[in-house]
Amino acid sequence: MIEFVYVGIFYALLALMLLYRVLKGPSVVDRAVAADSIDILTVVALIVFSIFSNRSIYLDIALVLAILGFLGTVLIARYLEGRL
Amino acid sequence: MIARIIIDLFLLLGCFFAFAGVVGLIRMPDSFTRMQSSTNIATLGVLWTVLGVAIYAFMNNNIAFGIKVILIGVFVVITSAISGHAILRGAYKHGIRPDNLVVDEYRRDNPDE
Repeated sequence: MIEFVYVGIFYALLALMLLYRVLKGPSVVDRAVAADSIDILTVVALIVFSIFSNRSIYLDIALVLAILGFLGTVLIARYLEGRL
Repeated sequence: MIARIIIDLFLLLGCFFAFAGVVGLIRMPDSFTRMQSSTNIATLGVLWTVLGVAIYAFMNNNIAFGIKVILIGVFVVITSAISGHAILRGAYKHGIRPDNLVVDEYRRDNPDE
């Protein structure tokens, strides 16, 4: 199904649009939230690409990327609280 | 044919919610409203797309693929709530306040933080 390619390209373009908020964001929280959103969009694009190309190795990469993004965001939050 | 139309509809809904979340994240005026809008990507944008992909995988008798995709979707939806809560508390303790703050119940309940 060719629609999966269109959806993946659309999600990649959305991630590129979010780079504006990462570069400009006034506070550190905006940058962290935008980076987390970029991570989630990349995970979804990898899922869609893996079902298109019918290889499940991209699915494992997406799972690892989701776990690492969650850990990074929680770590930044702990650092902002001052308990790290 | 019907299943393909349903899958397309799910993918389109996922794209719409992700686009709405990105527009809110760029255009909202405040840190906390931007955080609220970014939740849109991680819940509805992921959930509709993952459901469409899982239906396609189950339709092609690719059971392991579908179960793995659903697991990733559930993981992202659960952890986005946790990380959003954590980074909200971190932002408050770091000294970031909303623009038009009227009532601060967190300060009233925890006066020593």
